[in-house]
Amino acid sequence: MIAAGAALVMVLVYAISVWLAPWSPKRGLGLVFGILASLIFVFEMAYPYRRSRARPFGTARRWLQLHVYLGALAFLAVLIHTGFHWPGGFMGWALLLLSAWTTLTGLVGVWLQKWLPVVMSEGLRVEALYERIPALVEHLVKEADALVANASEVLERFYLAEVRTRLAVVEPSWSYLLDVRAGRERALEPFRRMSSFVDPAEKEIVNDLMTIRMEKMDLDVHYSLQGVLRSWLVVHVPPAAVLMALLVVHILAWALY
Amino acid sequence: MSNVDRTQLQQRYERRMQLMVPAEPDLLAQQSLFAGIPEKARPKVIEKVRRYIHLVRYEVGDLVLREGEYSDSAYFIVDGAAEIVLTGESELRPSVRGGAHVPAAQRPNARPDVAPYIGRGSAGLSGTVILSALPANVGPGRGNLTLGPGEVFGEIGALSRYAVSATVKAATPLTVLQIRLPGLRMLLASSKDFKKSVEERYRERILARQLRMVPLFSRMDDSFVEDVKRRAELLSFEPGQVIVEEGSPADALLLVIGGYVKVSVHAGATDLALTYLRKGDHAGESALLLEDTWPVTLQALEHVEIVKLSREIFRAVTAAYPDVEDELWEESVKRLKARGAIKRQPNSSEYVQMAMETGLIHGESVLLIDLSTCTRCDECVRGCADAHGGEPRFMREGARYRRWLVPTACYQCTDPVCMIDCPTGAITRQVGTLEVTIDQPTCIGCGNCANRCPWGNITMVEKDEKRPDGKNVEVATKCDLCLTRPEGPACVQMCPHGSAVRISFKDLDRVTSTLT
Repeated sequence: MIAAGAALVMVLVYAISVWLAPWSPKRGLGLVFGILASLIFVFEMAYPYRRSRARPFGTARRWLQLHVYLGALAFLAVLIHTGFHWPGGFMGWALLLLSAWTTLTGLVGVWLQKWLPVVMSEGLRVEALYERIPALVEHLVKEADALVANASEVLERFYLAEVRTRLAVVEPSWSYLLDVRAGRERALEPFRRMSSFVDPAEKEIVNDLMTIRMEKMDLDVHYSLQGVLRSWLVVHVPPAAVLMALLVVHILAWALY
Repeated sequence: MSNVDRTQLQQRYERRMQLMVPAEPDLLAQQSLFAGIPEKARPKVIEKVRRYIHLVRYEVGDLVLREGEYSDSAYFIVDGAAEIVLTGESELRPSVRGGAHVPAAQRPNARPDVAPYIGRGSAGLSGTVILSALPANVGPGRGNLTLGPGEVFGEIGALSRYAVSATVKAATPLTVLQIRLPGLRMLLASSKDFKKSVEERYRERILARQLRMVPLFSRMDDSFVEDVKRRAELLSFEPGQVIVEEGSPADALLLVIGGYVKVSVHAGATDLALTYLRKGDHAGESALLLEDTWPVTLQALEHVEIVKLSREIFRAVTAAYPDVEDELWEESVKRLKARGAIKRQPNSSEYVQMAMETGLIHGESVLLIDLSTCTRCDECVRGCADAHGGEPRFMREGARYRRWLVPTACYQCTDPVCMIDCPTGAITRQVGTLEVTIDQPTCIGCGNCANRCPWGNITMVEKDEKRPDGKNVEVATKCDLCLTRPEGPACVQMCPHGSAVRISFKDLDRVTSTLT
């Protein structure tokens, strides 16, 4: 609400100013909005220091909220600074595009952070630490190997041909972003088919293998989605750093020339 | 920096272990402790309990029990004398513990802003040191009491799981039988004399004080409480045993003095967990006031000690103190409403049931992570590591219940069993605080606390320091609720999404509202 109110005030100030006098990014309120955007960008870059400097804002959660809302307001301030006109020259375009990109990727990150945890907690039975997933997968393979160690030849052949290869390595996939249960029914079909061929004792083994396969698929989903949660910063942070560098050049250019 | 010599502490512990030997049946048979057991049954009982009994020798000045700590043993003096020192803040403590681990911030109310993060429950009897009603000339600044051969101490603390109420040290070379809790329970079941003497001592020394801590009895005059104390019945229940059945005639008020009791109601073919009772809680007032049958079933979740106050005592209380009766009516209405609510919405019972099944009810400050908002960024673990010199005190792994993860982090239990048997006193909880802390310079890495923790929340960590035998020093580490951070636990504060919470399972309303 506060952020929305602040945005409204900023737009109103701009509208009134434009109505009263021609708008220029180089003087008056145009310059003020440019300075405001720059200051917010500097604050935004301080986000990694929340761990040691959390005290002024209470919790890390408050830091993040400020980071998100101020980031969005900073982009609005940039737009107002330009007077909602396309900038002239390479520097202007670069600054505008980088501001837009950083804000957009930040908002995408917020959305991912809201959406993916819900998907993981509701759709998956297994919970795992990202770094430990390869080790857990290895453990599942050992468990499955032990299960079929004394099984019939048919079951062993089935295991080696259709199960083990899919168990042995982590298989991340983008499709899990759309559906965490993607491919699950298809993956379990061979187990159901196999169940009808084996005797009751081996049926148990097939069921256990099926459970292991499901756990492995849960781990694949975790690996994929937690990977996304960790890696989206790559598209957000480096462009933000470039933006800051260009901003310094932009300010120096304005000050000197 | 601490000036504690870990090697010296280790050697002292090893010497102590050498002085602790299994008690021989012949020696046990000679002790008055077993006199109450019929002669024919005596050898059998001795054979059964002797694995829980050790003969321990102490030099003059050695500590047997430390005030404020927890113990799972009773001590029977075979030879020599033990001195009970009631100091409140024993002078012996710093010399044993190095005095290194009680920073100023550990004082009660020293961190007023942390309450929302550490989920401090409502005040109750837990954590309260019960000072035994020792003779009037004994006590802080007044004098000490000396116990001699044939006398028993420590049994009430072990049974009720209250913190030890006084420091006990050897006044002369002392030989005692250390009787661990299972042995103590066996003896209570086998020897009527022993049971009677324990009960009498309990009645004489503790009961009046405990009754006074229950709001129901807090305003009564001494003679009234004395009368109640005299007429009260003491009962013990095994884990799983039904104490009262819903619908059975109500004839008493039950006051829990040790252990946990499940309160449930029948709903069709199943039982719905309503709440649980812990030491200091009471049940039965609704039925007595309404002159009705028991509206709930009470079942012991573990070994439970109960004081039973008959209908007559209850009537005498309500007749003499009408304001107490009014309060009990209010309490009864509240409880009956809660019972009705659970019956109407059985789902809300599920978390109470889960807490009882998983042992979370013991937790004074349990870390929970909401997986539906947690982005698995591990900021909680990093924050914890930053607050503890790079070594995190918990793992973001553990049991999962619906969308909640219960990480491997200390629950700060009401009755911290990890504190039993620490040979150097490295693990402590200051009276009135939640934080069970381990003083690393004093820890000799025996692993007793880690082995005792039922939830595996204490981890042994290798340090760079070498022991005299060339091996690396190991120390126990656990969550200390970030004792040195004025802002409270880093795990909660550093979570950018507010997914990490700490709650006390004493406060069931908050548990239900948080988890659902």
